[in-house]
Amino acid sequence: MFGKSKRLWPRAPMKTAYDAVIIGGGLHGLATAYFLARDHGITDVAVIEKNYIGFGGAGRNTAIVRANQRTQENVPLYKEALDLWPVLTKELDFNLMFYNCGNLNLAHGEATLKAMRLNVATAQFHGVKSQLVDPKECKELVPALDISDRPRYPVFGGMYHPPGGIVRHDAVVWGLAKGAAKRGVHIHQGTEVAGIGTSQGKVVSVETDRGKIHTPRVLNAAGGYAAALSHAFLRQRLPISVLTIQAMVTQPLKPLLDHVVSSGTYHCYGNQTLKGEIATGAHMDPWPNYTTDTTAYYIKHQAEALTEMLPCLKGVKFMRHWAGLADMTPDMAPIMDGNDPIEGYYVDCGWGYFGFKSSTVTGKYMAQFMAKGECPDILKPFQLKRFQEHRLMGETAALVNYSPDN
Amino acid sequence: MNRLTHLPTLRIRPESRRDIHYRGKAHPAAAGDTIATALYANGVRIFGRSLKYHRPRGLYSLDGECGNTTMAVDGVPNVRTETVPARAGMTVKAQNVVGSAERDLLGFMDALSFAMPAGFYYKTMHKPAPVWPLAINRIRKQAGLGAIAPDFEITGVFDELYPRADVCVVGGGPAGMCAALAAAEAGLRVILLEARPWMGGFFDYRAAAHPGGGLLHERARELADQVEKAPTIRVFTSAAMTGAYHDNLITAVQQGGDDDPFDSRYLQIRAGAMVAATGCIERPLLFENNEKPGVMQVGCAHRLARTWGLMPGEKIAFSVGHDLGLEAALDLAELGGRVVCVADIREDGQDPALAAALAERRIPYFKGWVATEAQGRPTLGRAVFSTITGTVQKEFSCDALVASAGFTPVTGPLNTAGAKLAYDNHTGFFLPTDLPPKTHAAGRIMGLQDPLSLETSGRLAGLRAAADCGKRVDDAVRDAEAALASQPGPERGCKLVTAPVKGKKTFICFDEDTTLKNVKQAMAQGFDVPELIKRFTAAGTGPGQGGIPGHNLPLFVAQTQASPDKHPRPTTVRAPLVPPLLAEYAGTNHDMSKRTPVHESQAAAGGKMERIAVWNRARVFSKSKGAKAEIENVRTNVGMLDASTLGKFRIFGPDAVKALQRVYAGDMTKIPSKRMKYAAMCNDDGCLLDDGVIVKQGDAGANDFYFTASTGRAGQTVEWIRYHAKYENWDFHLVNLTDAYGVINLAGPNARKVLEKVADADVSNDAFPFMGYREFTVNQTIPVRAMRLGFVGELSYEFHVPSSWMQALWDVLAEAGAEFGIQNFGLEAQNTLRMEKGHVIIGSESEQRTNLLDLGLGFLWDRNKPEAKTVGAVALRQAEHQKGRLKLVGFRMAEPADRAPKDGSPIVDDRIRGYVCTARYSHALDMPVGMALVEDELTPEGTRLSIFEDGCEGNLIHGEIVSMPFYDPDGKRMRM
Repeated sequence: MFGKSKRLWPRAPMKTAYDAVIIGGGLHGLATAYFLARDHGITDVAVIEKNYIGFGGAGRNTAIVRANQRTQENVPLYKEALDLWPVLTKELDFNLMFYNCGNLNLAHGEATLKAMRLNVATAQFHGVKSQLVDPKECKELVPALDISDRPRYPVFGGMYHPPGGIVRHDAVVWGLAKGAAKRGVHIHQGTEVAGIGTSQGKVVSVETDRGKIHTPRVLNAAGGYAAALSHAFLRQRLPISVLTIQAMVTQPLKPLLDHVVSSGTYHCYGNQTLKGEIATGAHMDPWPNYTTDTTAYYIKHQAEALTEMLPCLKGVKFMRHWAGLADMTPDMAPIMDGNDPIEGYYVDCGWGYFGFKSSTVTGKYMAQFMAKGECPDILKPFQLKRFQEHRLMGETAALVNYSPDN
Repeated sequence: MNRLTHLPTLRIRPESRRDIHYRGKAHPAAAGDTIATALYANGVRIFGRSLKYHRPRGLYSLDGECGNTTMAVDGVPNVRTETVPARAGMTVKAQNVVGSAERDLLGFMDALSFAMPAGFYYKTMHKPAPVWPLAINRIRKQAGLGAIAPDFEITGVFDELYPRADVCVVGGGPAGMCAALAAAEAGLRVILLEARPWMGGFFDYRAAAHPGGGLLHERARELADQVEKAPTIRVFTSAAMTGAYHDNLITAVQQGGDDDPFDSRYLQIRAGAMVAATGCIERPLLFENNEKPGVMQVGCAHRLARTWGLMPGEKIAFSVGHDLGLEAALDLAELGGRVVCVADIREDGQDPALAAALAERRIPYFKGWVATEAQGRPTLGRAVFSTITGTVQKEFSCDALVASAGFTPVTGPLNTAGAKLAYDNHTGFFLPTDLPPKTHAAGRIMGLQDPLSLETSGRLAGLRAAADCGKRVDDAVRDAEAALASQPGPERGCKLVTAPVKGKKTFICFDEDTTLKNVKQAMAQGFDVPELIKRFTAAGTGPGQGGIPGHNLPLFVAQTQASPDKHPRPTTVRAPLVPPLLAEYAGTNHDMSKRTPVHESQAAAGGKMERIAVWNRARVFSKSKGAKAEIENVRTNVGMLDASTLGKFRIFGPDAVKALQRVYAGDMTKIPSKRMKYAAMCNDDGCLLDDGVIVKQGDAGANDFYFTASTGRAGQTVEWIRYHAKYENWDFHLVNLTDAYGVINLAGPNARKVLEKVADADVSNDAFPFMGYREFTVNQTIPVRAMRLGFVGELSYEFHVPSSWMQALWDVLAEAGAEFGIQNFGLEAQNTLRMEKGHVIIGSESEQRTNLLDLGLGFLWDRNKPEAKTVGAVALRQAEHQKGRLKLVGFRMAEPADRAPKDGSPIVDDRIRGYVCTARYSHALDMPVGMALVEDELTPEGTRLSIFEDGCEGNLIHGEIVSMPFYDPDGKRMRM
C-alpha cells in the first residue's frame, strides 16, 4: 500500500475489434464488464465512456443500499446485491466501504403504514430482515427525530431494515474498473459512441469518435442517455422519460445519524456519510428534461422537509447541491432485455433512482445474459414486453406518470 | 493587543465594547469586529484543528474560503468566524480538538500522515473483513468537523424576502457600484448584493492613489454614497449570494445587523438581468506548511491592519506574485509594521514605483523568489525562501508570512447561472467563454486591476444590463466601450502554483488536508482529471469547497501532465456558493394545507384532524374502537360526513362531451338529465386513475356538466383533460370548483326524515330516487345540488353547496337531525362502511398493476366508442383475457374467531400471490371481512387464502373467498 502506486486501470490501446462493447462507464457498464471477465471468460471487452468513469449517476447518487422493495420480483435481486458488497470488497481488494447502518423509513399515517406492511412482510417472507416500528422505537433509532405532534406530518411509525446502509459510490466505480482492467477489459474514457452497426438483424460494430469497433455484442448501459441512444442508433423506442433528480450534502459533522432516515410523505431522506456529511435528496423535478441544473426551489424544500423531521439540523449548513438524471419507466422498474429483436444488442436502463443499489448484481446477470444469449430467469420480469402487455411491475403502489402531461 | 486607531479606513468602533466567551474567558471585542478579528485581537492564533491530521489552523483569509477559522458558536457548528460579527455574550468553541486548539491530544496524527496517502481508505481496513465494522466507528468519530446535539434547538428569526428587480448586481466593489449606478441612471430598479457589511470592495481598505484623484478608499466612500442616495437602488449588505438559477433567479442569504428585526433573511430575487462583479479572491501559494498559523493571504493581512486596526504580526515576511502584495507590504510598513522581507515570484513586470518605494524603505526585496517552507511550532517562527528554481535559499525569522501566488476570479455566480469557463493564458484565470442571456460580468472577475478600468467595465456592464431590460442606451454603451478600450486591459497573471518543494506538507486543500503529494499519488494511480482527483483525494469537498483548491488543482494537474493538449479543466462550482444554515433556507416554513369550510366545527365537535395530502380531515369523532359508534349510527340512524375534499368541476362548451369521451371509459353521450352517471378514468394501461359521478346541468341541449373526482386526483384532473385534448382544438371550458363548493354526505335510514324537514322540494323516494340529481334550496335560502348515491350503502344524499353556505347547511341539518340523534362520522367509519359494500377507494384497493376489469368495474367501460379514442381503451381490450392478473376479491376469515388480518399483509403459498387491501371487523355482519388483490387463479368462491402477516414467523392465518358486497348485496338499503 505504501509502495509505488500503479494505475488502477491502465491506459489501453483502442482496438478495432472486441468480443463485447459496453456503452457507458458507469456502474452498470463496469459491473457487467467485470462479471463478463470473471464468470464467463469474456475478457476482450471495451467499456466506452464519453466523459470519465463514474461521471453520471454513479457519482451523483446518494449511495443508499437496501433490499426492502415491494415485490417478489425485486426483493431477491436486491438481497443478492446487498450480499455482494463484502464479497466484492474482498475480491477487488478495494474497500467499497459498505456501512451497514440500516434504513429507517418513516410513516406519517395509516395508509403509509399499510403500504409499509406489505414491504415488510414481503421482505420477511424472503428471509430479509425488516420490521415495523412505533414512533418511540423510531426515536430510539434516531434520537434527533422529532416525534412530537409539532411537525405538519407527525411520525406515525416506521419500517426499519437493518441489512441496508450506504456504500462509497466512487469506490465501487474504481474498484470495478480496477477489477475489470486487471482481467483484461479496456476502459476508454473520453470516447463517444456515434452509432451501432447492424447487418441482417445482428450487431456487427460500434462507431466511436475514435474509429469503428467490430463486435458481435453491445450493451447499452448509458444511464440517462440510454433511451435516446437506442432510438438514435437503432430506432428502438423505450418507454423512458428522463427527469432531473437533485441531491445535496451538509458540511461534515461528528456522528449524529446512525441510520438512513427517509420519509415518502416529506419527499426527503437523509443519511450521514462516513465523512460526516449528511447527504439528502429525494424527489425528482416534475418535468422531463436532460439538464443537470439544480433549482432554488428544491434546496429550499429540502431544508424545510429535513428540518421538520430532524429539527436540530437547522443549525447545520448545506455545502453542495448537484443534480443527475433519472431514467424513469412507467412502473419505476428497469428494463433489462436483449438479443431480441436485434441479435447481440442488449439494454440495461430505466433504473431511475435505483441504479446504484442494484448495479453489481445487475452486472452479474447481464453478463450471464450477454455470454449465453439467453435471459436469466431472475431478469425475465424486467423485459420490455411487459409494457406492450400492460403488465406493469408493482414496485410502486401509486400510479406514476413521468411523461409530459405530468 | 494595541490597535491602530484613527485610520480613515477603520470599520470598528473601539469605544463600543462587548464581550465574547472563549475557553472560559471573556474576550473584549469592538463594535464592527468579526468573531475572528476579535479573537485575533486577543492574541488567539490557533482557531481549530484540521480534519485528518489535526494540524493547528489559523486566520488565513477573511472571506471564508476555507474552514480554518470555522468554530462552534452558541451550539451551532462550523460558523465562519471571519464573516460573523462578534455579538455580546457569544460563546465560541474550537472544533475538531481533544483538549484545546493549542494543545490537541490528537495532534500526533500529523506525524502519521505518511500512513494516509491519497485514497488510503480504499486500500486499507477491509482486510481481514471483521476489522471493517470496527474501523467504521473510528472513522466516524474522527471524521466530521463540528458537532451538533440531537436536541439542539435554534433560536432567532429567519425571515424570507422575494423581491423583483430589473437589474441585480452581485458585488458592491467599484465595478458593481458603477454598474448599479449606470443601470439606475437608465431609469431601472436595481438590487445590489454585497457579502461584506459595507460596499467598497478592494478599494475600501486601500490608501493608494486613485488615477482620477484622491485615495482609493475615499473613492469607495464616494461611490457608496452615490449608490445609497440613488432612489432606485436597493442595497443589501451582509448578503452573500448562494446561487443563480434559470432566468436570473438569484438567491442570497443576508445576515441581520444589530438593529434588524431578523437574524437572517433568505433572499430570492427575480431579476431582468444580472451583473456579476464579485471580484477576486487570492490564489494560495503552495509551499511546505503553507497553512501554518501565521501564514495568511495579502488581503487578509492588509485588511486586518486597515479595516480592523490589527497588525498581523511583529515581524512580517511577504511572498507574493502581484503588485497588490507589494502595495500591502509598503502600507503595513507605513503603518508601523516591521516588514522583514518581500519575495516576489515575478522576475519582472512589477510596478517600478512600488519596487522603488520598497528600496527606499530598505525592505529586502527579492525578485524571482518564493517562500518554500514555514517553520515553527505550533505557530510560525521562521520562513525559508528560495529562488523559484530552488537553487539558493535564505531564512527569515517572522511570525507572519503574507503569501499569495495570484488571484482567482469569483466566477461562482456565472457558473451557477450556466456560463462555461475556459482557461485564459494571459490572466491565468478560468474566464467565461459564453455568458447566458442577460448575464454580464464586470471588474476584477475579468482580470482587470486598474481602478479606472474597473469602474468603466462596471458602467459598461450596467448599461448592457439596462439594454437587456429594454432601455435605449446604445450611445452610452458605445462610449463606455471606447473608454474601456483606451484604459488598461486585463493584467498578465502569475502562473506559479507551487514553490520548488516535494509537497509532503504542502496543502492544496486545507479543509481535507490534501497535499501536493496526495495529488501526485492520485495521478499516478490513473486519476488524471481534476474532477476525479477531487473525488479520490477529497480536495475541494470540505466546508470551503473549491475556495482554496479550485484554481490551483487544475493548474497543477495541467502543469504536471506531459501531454500538450491538456488544457487546464476546472472542477465544477456548485451552489450554494456560501454555505447557508438549513434554518435560513427553511425560513418561516409555513404549513400550507387546505381546510374545508367546516373545519372549525368539525374540530370543535371532537374530530381528530389529520393531514391527508393537501387536506386536513377528521378521521374519527368517537373514542370507540374502530369508530364503532359512528358506524352503527349510520347503519341504524343517520350520520353526517364532511366530504368537501372531493374534486368538483364544471365542464361546458360545444365540445365538452368530446373531452369527456376521451378521458372517461363510459359513454358520456348518454347522461340522462336529473340522474347521475358513475364513471371511471383510466391511464394508457387501462389502470384505474379516478372515478366520480357526472351530471348534466341546465337545459337538455346545454353542453354543461358538473362532475366529481376523488380527493387525491382533484389537483391533476384539469391537467389530465387538458393534456389529452391538446391536439384537438376542441371548444370547451373546464373550471375547477373544488374549493368553491363544500360537500355534506347525509347517510342512514333516517336521512330522508332529516332532509324532508328543510328541503324546499319533494324528496320522497319517487320524486328523488336512487342515483337521482336535483337542484333545490334549503330553508328557502341555501342553494343545494343534491345527489342521491350510496357510497356507504345506506339511504344517502350528497349536498354540494357554495363554500360560504357550507357551515349554514351543516348547522341546519344538524338541528333538523337532532331529534333523530344525528351524529358526525369521520373517515375511519366511512372506510369500514364502504368496505362492507365492496366499494373501492383508489390507491387502497387499486394500484399500478390493476386495471378497471381487475377491479370488477368493467361495466364502466363502453367498448363501442372507438371514435372517441378513449384513453386506456386499447389496453383494456388487449388485457381483457390475460391470465395471471391481480383481481379484487372479498374474503372472510376461515376461522370465525380470527381477527381481521392487518392491511397490506401478503397472501402466499410458495410465493406471494396477492395481498390484503382493507380488512375490518364488520359490526353489521358481526365478523371480520376484507378485500384483497389476488392472482386470478385464487378468485373462485371458497378458495382458501393463506395470509402472511409481518412478524408472524411462519404462522399463517387463513381467509376464504366470498362474494361481494358483504353488506346488503341487493342494494335495497340505498334505494329505500
